Amino acid sequence: MSDLTANPFAGDQSAVRRRETAVRWLLRGSTLLIVAVTISIVAHIFIKGAPITFRSEFPFVNVKFLTELPGTLHVIVDKQGRAFETDVNGADVIKKQLGDNFREEKTISYSGGGILGPIVGTALLVIVSVAVALFLGVASAVYLSEYASKGRRVELIRLAILNLAGVPSVVFGLFGLGAFVLTAPVLTDAPHERTLLAIPLGFTTLSFQGWDTCVLSGGFTLAFVILPVIITASEQCLQAVPQGFRETSMALGATRWQTIWRAVLPFATPGILTSSILGIARAAGETAPIMFTAALAFKDKLPWQKDVTPLPADAGWFANWEQAVERFLGIFTESVQALPYHIYTLAARIPHNEYSERAQYGSVFVFLLLVAGLAAASIWLRRRLRGKYKW
Amino acid sequence: MSPDRPPLHSLILKKKRGTLLGLDPQRGIRVFFATNASVTIIVLAMIMIFLLREGAGFLGTYKHELEIYRRAGLEFCDIVDRPLADQQELSSKLRRAVTSSLDPLIQSARARRDAAFLLKREVEEQAKIPREALEAALEKEPVPSVGELEALRRQLAAATGKVVGSMQVSGLFTTEEARRLRAEFARLSPEVSEMPPMLMELSAAFTARDKEAKSRFGPLVEASDSLEEAPESLREVLGELKEEVLATKEEATTHFTLEEGRQKLLKAAEAAADPEEKQALLEEAKASETPEPDYVGSMAPVLERRDELIEKVVSYAAAIDSAALHLPKEGGTLEATKLLAEVREALPPHAKALRDSVDALRQWQQDKPVSIFTVVGAFFFGTNWLTNSSWQDFFGFVPLLAGSLVIALIAIVIATPLSVAAAIYTNQFASEREKELIKPVIEFIQAIPSVVLGFIGITLVGDLIKEVSGFSWLSWLPGFPIQERLNMFNAGCLLALMAVPTMFSLAEDALNNVPQAYIDASDALGATKLQTVFRVIVPAALSGIAAAILLGLGRVIGETMVVLLVAGNRIAIPDFSSGPGVIFQPAHTLTGIIAQELGEVSRGSAHWQALFMVGIVLFVISLGVNACARAVVRRFELPKA
Repeated sequence: MSDLTANPFAGDQSAVRRRETAVRWLLRGSTLLIVAVTISIVAHIFIKGAPITFRSEFPFVNVKFLTELPGTLHVIVDKQGRAFETDVNGADVIKKQLGDNFREEKTISYSGGGILGPIVGTALLVIVSVAVALFLGVASAVYLSEYASKGRRVELIRLAILNLAGVPSVVFGLFGLGAFVLTAPVLTDAPHERTLLAIPLGFTTLSFQGWDTCVLSGGFTLAFVILPVIITASEQCLQAVPQGFRETSMALGATRWQTIWRAVLPFATPGILTSSILGIARAAGETAPIMFTAALAFKDKLPWQKDVTPLPADAGWFANWEQAVERFLGIFTESVQALPYHIYTLAARIPHNEYSERAQYGSVFVFLLLVAGLAAASIWLRRRLRGKYKW
Repeated sequence: MSPDRPPLHSLILKKKRGTLLGLDPQRGIRVFFATNASVTIIVLAMIMIFLLREGAGFLGTYKHELEIYRRAGLEFCDIVDRPLADQQELSSKLRRAVTSSLDPLIQSARARRDAAFLLKREVEEQAKIPREALEAALEKEPVPSVGELEALRRQLAAATGKVVGSMQVSGLFTTEEARRLRAEFARLSPEVSEMPPMLMELSAAFTARDKEAKSRFGPLVEASDSLEEAPESLREVLGELKEEVLATKEEATTHFTLEEGRQKLLKAAEAAADPEEKQALLEEAKASETPEPDYVGSMAPVLERRDELIEKVVSYAAAIDSAALHLPKEGGTLEATKLLAEVREALPPHAKALRDSVDALRQWQQDKPVSIFTVVGAFFFGTNWLTNSSWQDFFGFVPLLAGSLVIALIAIVIATPLSVAAAIYTNQFASEREKELIKPVIEFIQAIPSVVLGFIGITLVGDLIKEVSGFSWLSWLPGFPIQERLNMFNAGCLLALMAVPTMFSLAEDALNNVPQAYIDASDALGATKLQTVFRVIVPAALSGIAAAILLGLGRVIGETMVVLLVAGNRIAIPDFSSGPGVIFQPAHTLTGIIAQELGEVSRGSAHWQALFMVGIVLFVISLGVNACARAVVRRFELPKA
């Protein structure tokens, strides 16, 4: 049978076939190399970091590491060579207990305690930046997808989005420093001397003196870093809503706005939110934009732990309410620790030893877990949505 | 609309369109969205404006600094100091040649001595705890009882004995010697201050050997010593002059700082409403007035010694010439001979550079104005980025740019073949199940924060590179074994990984966009799959792939944290003379320098402005790369199929 189908005039094809197989394996090899390198990096962090974060007995996680603020680690060694790890207060107690038996004390900055401060700071930064970026991004996408017709203006906007996506993150940091930290407007009674412009408003002054390094400055800076991602993703989701929905709505006499609000956005929202998770991951991971705008290497308080003068007992509800609002807003005008900056500090600013390595791998592991969780959630949700919304 | 038909408007839409403050709300909503969409343009413009606002003053400030640099005479000293800096490198090379020549002769004696000392330290280290206890007891007041001391001594002796028993004595020593060492080390105690006799013998043996070797390479050692001593008298004169001009410079700096404060006070006085306050401010301003330093007067004593300096320079150059003549050709080893050849080649140019500086010294003018072009040149073509220096700060941009470019090049060279191959494979060959694995993983790389990759570079990749480069069978590779764990190659590898997702997804899009008709036509002509891929699909998608590479490059140049953590942060132009091994040198980058230094400088200083200038350059580079990518796509776009 095979004798009949074989082409008697065909030359010897085995060399060609061998070459094809070889090239195909070369291509496959480089692809698998990328995959293998990625997986091995992640595996390395998991192997080194998981034992620090997780525990083999109940409650299975290292509660101390996740719920304490970072601090200086004190290691006290006694004359038998035993080492005790403790914080500042514990160090004195142990030294007293050891008495004559005390031999030496090592201090390792930033490596003690946990990483609650950085986690909280990163969360605050992400909340601010995503709120700002989603608002601006979705509005821009609606304009580009629903309103704009082809023209110079739209061309210009698209060009700007492309270019904004390519701006180095450290340049965003410089921009945030110049714009938000040193120039953004605030309401204050006593303008700072560096103010660019002070406009008296009667009861107070609008002064362009900047917000200083705080969550707001960092959040706004990060918002512009992720803005192009959000716009592009939102526009794709809006475009994916079938044209028929809009036409039907318009044919029923709905206005443009009603069409967008009732017939387009509801179907695009899940997609927009899913894609913006990637934006969150990016915002959480950036370090350079927050270095000069929000982040601190060390802080011994959470943003909401602030000394407030207690109100007199007979203070009215308004005074109480005012103070509560002030406290709430105060969270955003504090500088914070952030996970990526904490990792940078641990990796670059302190000498390496077994104790600092533990803090490093623990922080990196938790950070990667957060970011990977977000990315995985985004990929998974997108898969599900793709199956759900089919028109 | 003809009048006989009922108006359509009132039939269908019962409600009339409302207006808000005389505006059509639909229009208002449209304007709202349009404004939001314009935010990107505004932000782009604002980035430029704010960078310029902080950085634009740089040229003025730097010009002023360079003016002081010239007026105060620092430049005059640098004319000689710059070429003289080479002398240290030459001298160190010669020293290395000497060491390398002597090494084979004295190696064994030294190794024996060092091994013995090392063993001693190890023994002491391991018996540290009882040892320290004994030491503490000996120093105690009042002296503890004999019995107590005896107990401590016994403890120490026991511990030392145990350590000595398990001590590994290296093969450098014979069994007899090892036995002697053990016996002597077992007697180690803090109470005996002199060294064990065996160690003394070993030291003496080494010294004798060293002397003998030195006499054998007498001329070489002599040449090395003479080169080291040659510039001494020149350095002495120069040092005195430098001290004088530095004092002038400091005076000038103080003057200008006070002057600035005075101007501020005057301004405040002008704005002050209260006449009394105004008077106080004016008086304060008057009090802080200082005369401008007398540059010419303070430079005069320096210039008086110009001839003395020239004379020293000439005699130094002559010394160098004679050293070049007397330098022996042969070193004790191949390496030494090579180093000697290098030094011999470098000596005449060094002498010439110094002779040239004589003319420059004669022609130097204190009052020559600093033109703005000099300042621009000093920034864009300056080869020196030196800050917080006690002599003079320089903001030369070339070392940073060179570092950034070399790292970007390494990253692109690694990332391009990998990601293009991956794109071709995934797009054309991979089964569905493979795609399920490949695509999410590559997408996931994008989500790994750069600081985490930087950390991996410090720990994992750094160790890996160091270890691999230590293998003796790889020593033929240039630059191996690698000295620095953190270097440009390490950073380049990690940046390549960061660039992969961008390049992969863009290249895959480009491959996807190749019209099916092309592929069908190729198949119909009897091409094999491989032929179709490499002769039809890839060429058709080439513009997209090129754009992908360019955008990957943009991403790599702009990346901050990885290079900050991994590139090694040495501010110097990579030494390209060492061939391809240059990639294993540490370097600093445009992005890294901003991240590292901006936190520590005061606003408005020349340093601050210089960092913003670097930011402007980065911004312009990123815009340029984007424009190039767009141009490439446009230029080579396929005709619509």
